[in-house]
Order: sequence, then C-alpha cells, then structure tokens
Amino acid sequence: MAKDFSTPLARVRRDGAAGEGPGHFIGQRASAVALAILSPLTLIFVLTAAASGPGGVTDMLSTGWGAIVTILFFTAALYHGRLGAQDVIDDYIARQGTRIVLLLANTFFTAALWVAVTVSILKLSFGG
Amino acid sequence: MVELTLPRNSKLKKGKRYDASNGAKDTRTFKIYRYDSDADDNPRWDEYVVPTDELRPMILDAMLWIKDNVDSTLSFRRSCREGVCGSCAFNINGRNTLACTKGWDEVGGGAIQISPLPHQPVIKDLVTDLSNFYAQYAAIEPYLQTVTAEPQKEWKQSQEDRDKLDGMYECILCACCSTGCPSYWWNSEKFFGPAALLQAYRWIEDSRDEMTGERLDALEDPFRLYRCHTIMNCAQVCPKGLNPAEAISGIKRKLAERAV
Repeated sequence: MAKDFSTPLARVRRDGAAGEGPGHFIGQRASAVALAILSPLTLIFVLTAAASGPGGVTDMLSTGWGAIVTILFFTAALYHGRLGAQDVIDDYIARQGTRIVLLLANTFFTAALWVAVTVSILKLSFGG
Repeated sequence: MVELTLPRNSKLKKGKRYDASNGAKDTRTFKIYRYDSDADDNPRWDEYVVPTDELRPMILDAMLWIKDNVDSTLSFRRSCREGVCGSCAFNINGRNTLACTKGWDEVGGGAIQISPLPHQPVIKDLVTDLSNFYAQYAAIEPYLQTVTAEPQKEWKQSQEDRDKLDGMYECILCACCSTGCPSYWWNSEKFFGPAALLQAYRWIEDSRDEMTGERLDALEDPFRLYRCHTIMNCAQVCPKGLNPAEAISGIKRKLAERAV
C-alpha cells in the first residue's frame, strides 16, 4: 500500500460532512415514542385475543383497530430496529465495503419483514 | 472491525522491578507502561518501589521522583504541574486523569498502574501521538468567525450569553475524555470525539460568532457527531469536571431543531 503523506488535518477534514444524521436521530426518538404508546396497546390486544380461545387472533385482527394498531406496532418496531442495527454496523464495522453490504442487508431484511408482516395481518384481517 | 485483543507486538510483558525503597518502611509501588516505538520489543510493565516519605503528594511528583532518582529513561509529558496545561494525562488505575492533580494516596491501596491514554499510538512509554486529536480540534475552527466588519472597540455580549460558555471554555485539551470514549476508540479517524465537539459547541453557542450555520453544517455527519451514544465516560473522567456529553447533546438538539 502506498504511504499516506496527507496531513492529519487533511485526513480529518476528508470530503467534508455528509449532511446526514438529524433524520436518523429524530427517527430513533419518534419511533421510540410510538413504541412506548403502541407496545402496551398491542400487548392488550394479544392477551385479549389469547384469552378468547381459538380464532381469537383472527377475530382481533378482523376488527379495524386491531389490525391498524398491530401494523403500526410492527412498522415502528422494525423501523426502530433497523436504525439501531445501522448504529451497531456504523460503530463496529470499519471496512467500507463490508459496511455497505451490511447496511443494504439490514434495509432489505427490514423491508422484507415489514411486507411479510403487513400482508399476513391484512390477510387475516380480511378473512383470507 | 472492532479489535478485542491486542496485536501480537502490543501484548504486554512483565518488565523490570526497581526497588528504590532503601529499606524504608512506608513504600508505594508504581507499575508503569514502558514501550519504545523505535525498538522491536513488546511493551512491558516496569515496577518501581519508592519510599513515600520522599514523595510530594501528587502522582506526577512520584513520577518525577522516579525519573530523577531511579530511571531517567522513563518518558512522559508534563509542564505546568497544576492542572492547567493538560500535558500529564495518563490512564491511572484504569481511569484517565491528570497525574498532577491526582494524589497517590487518592487511588486506593496496592500498586498504582500508569499507562498511556488508551487507543492512541504510543511513541515512547507514556507519550502518545495526539496528531489526530489536535487535527480534530483544528477542524472545528476554534476561533471567533464573523462577516460583519470588526467593531472599533470589541464584540459585545450580554452577561447571559457569556454565561452559556461556562463549562466549555475551561477545557484544557488533555484528551482524557476522547481517549476514554469507546466510540472514539472504534472510530477515532472519523468521530471528532468529546473534546473537539465540546469546543465546537463552545463556538456554536457564542452569541458573537456569525458562522453558526456553517459550524453546524460541518458537524452534520453520521460519523463526525452521531457516533456519540451518550456513554458519559467523557464526563466521568474529565479532570476539570466538564460535561462534553451535554455539549454534544446540545449540538444534536440544534441540528434537530433546524431540521423540523
């Protein structure tokens, strides 16, 4: 590898600031607030559905509110989880190529999971 | 990738033991990290047993006594000896602090272990290469910047605005905070670290400065600023009692406010 003769200041300044960060910061806090509200509601729905015997979950999801709250809960949880995983990757993976691959995998995995969860809930909700 | 083990050539070996007690009853042992980047040898722990009645109260006094009386090859930085210059910052018994303001009787019993500031390249013994740390400080442009023509007398500031700078201007750039921060250990090339960010906020908060927006632009970056996860090691170890984590939160708040 060629010797790096750039000055410490040149290495620190690099290409300048990316102009990103506040969105992630705000998103993390907004989704945390959403989860603080949606988690107890979802828990109540799940416990109620479990107590009402076989078919309870389908009944719960077939009510509009049950499906909406559950979809919102999973949306907030997956979004929050994706942002958290991105932080872990940014913190601990120094190699640029590996980091990009992991960041893409994180996004694709979250998106696929969200689609699967949402379709499943809607299917149960509409009696499919 | 995070390195959880030391490289082979950084693994510490047992070093020499110097007994300078001369039969004194009250002694204290100092276990000091020794390394020479010009030599091929691994770093080692040397132990110095010194008589406490010969020592003045601070750990730096003991280190100077060792250098003067036992081992003149021991290398470390020091200057003011009163907590102002920030030169004698070391890791003492696992905690970054200034050797000149920490008493050797304040750190518990047993041997006092002194090593260089963590996760910095070591030049010799306790002298680390802080070029990156100083470049990060330079990068935040730590001086007043204005567009308006200079007034004839001075830039005025209300007492309330001046008070906002308390807890920030006192930083002595000893690097205890930055080198005590895990986020800085993993990303010191990109994350500016608590010291530089504290100073950045000191100028962002200065009512006389006219480059607040540009200063915020320069920090709006996932690595430069947002690697801080408010771990608070910086505030725990600051020998001046400052709170860089609070300043970093202030920068994040300002960036969030201008985004929404």
